[in-house]
Amino acid sequence: MPAYSLYMGCSVPANYPNYEASMCRVAESLGLELQYLEDVSCCGSPNLRAMDYWGWVLVNARTLAIADNIGHDILTPCNGCFGSLKDAYHLLKHDTNYREKVNEELAKENLEFKGISKPRHFVEVLYTDVGIDALGKKVTKPLDGVGIAIHYGCHLLRPKDVTELSHTILDELVEVTGAHVIQYSLWKQCCGATVLPVDEDLAIRLARDKLKSMKESGAVFATVVCPACCNQLDLQQLGLRESYDEEYEIPVLFYSQILGLAIGLDESDVGLDMNRVSARPILQHL
Amino acid sequence: MTESNDKSRPPEVLIDPIDMSKLDPTFRKEIQSMPNADELSACFACSTCTAACPIANVWDIKPHQLIRMILLGMRETVLSSKEIWLCLTCFECQERCPQNVRVTDIFFDCKNLASEEGWIPNNIVSLGKELLEKGQLYTVTADWEREDLTLEPEVPGLSTTAVKRILSETRTGRLVKGGD
Repeated sequence: MPAYSLYMGCSVPANYPNYEASMCRVAESLGLELQYLEDVSCCGSPNLRAMDYWGWVLVNARTLAIADNIGHDILTPCNGCFGSLKDAYHLLKHDTNYREKVNEELAKENLEFKGISKPRHFVEVLYTDVGIDALGKKVTKPLDGVGIAIHYGCHLLRPKDVTELSHTILDELVEVTGAHVIQYSLWKQCCGATVLPVDEDLAIRLARDKLKSMKESGAVFATVVCPACCNQLDLQQLGLRESYDEEYEIPVLFYSQILGLAIGLDESDVGLDMNRVSARPILQHL
Repeated sequence: MTESNDKSRPPEVLIDPIDMSKLDPTFRKEIQSMPNADELSACFACSTCTAACPIANVWDIKPHQLIRMILLGMRETVLSSKEIWLCLTCFECQERCPQNVRVTDIFFDCKNLASEEGWIPNNIVSLGKELLEKGQLYTVTADWEREDLTLEPEVPGLSTTAVKRILSETRTGRLVKGGD
């Protein structure tokens, strides 16, 4: 049974316990052993990176160094955490001067970044370590070919030399559940979460563009793998009723919820009632 | 856009002339010394970054212009611009640059310099304050939701004291204290 150091971050447990629970239960069903990393640091988000690069590297290097002591790869469900951890990992792997400077600081806590534990996103572990064939064999309640639009989220995919992730993995992961992947023109576009604190109107407009594009292409559901993207695409639909007087009615599910249902988990196991736009209609498509 | 026929007045121009005396020739070196900015001067101004940017249409200064301004030494214009803070950090520009200029990363460098000099939106400082005081960005407000899913009541695994200690000694600490 492959083991991973689980890094949950703060947004998933605080805002989306349905993502945390569904991911853990899916992992359990698939025989992935997840051990919570203890005493690690919040990644700080891209906003910390913007205002305080050195502080951002330090908090993330600290997490990487703690994981190095255990030796397993780090597994995280959040694109923001993944982006921060992987970016810091990439920097420290390639920039020896920076790495020395960082390790001098970490030495105060008897820690050292060694680069043993690689930060990995949950969906990439599903794709690479479990594999599509093995997942297919686990699917007992396949979806009926209903159309699902995928939002990968920027920090899962880009910059590619850092993330080392292909922009087709979620397509395959969704298809193996029996759903049909909806192609839509703005599939690559950002959800707008990062500019929310600086320009709320712009952030809302970006979410709207995205939802509009999904809807026009015939998506019945959408799937995300990041809490910030979920804020923008699920929660923001409630806001769009007021700001634009528009109703999109696209339930947005975390991928682990969809996979969980397809491998036979109960709706309460995947926290289906916590999605802001009701996700219950998915039950009619199993 | 149209040029005046009246030769007694200067022609209308699309952009203001650059005042050479205000240029800072050390600015590009300053940026280049920061993380991920080595390829900065490889930019040949093709503006692929601008074509790739989903929100360049609402930027007065476009991404390729910002890069050019850095190379020219227009330090204050770049660092005080609202555009660097409107960057979505979606990395679409960087991904497409034919010269491997790490455009998004360079805008992160600009935001760090801007923060150092006080050109930082209040809401970003507030996020820094949140991190400094709570040691994490989000805290659990609806613990019954976690309970329903048989998850432990608090955010699991995070040391908030370590984050508070680290950030109180870096720029975050200085900015938050400076703002109080």
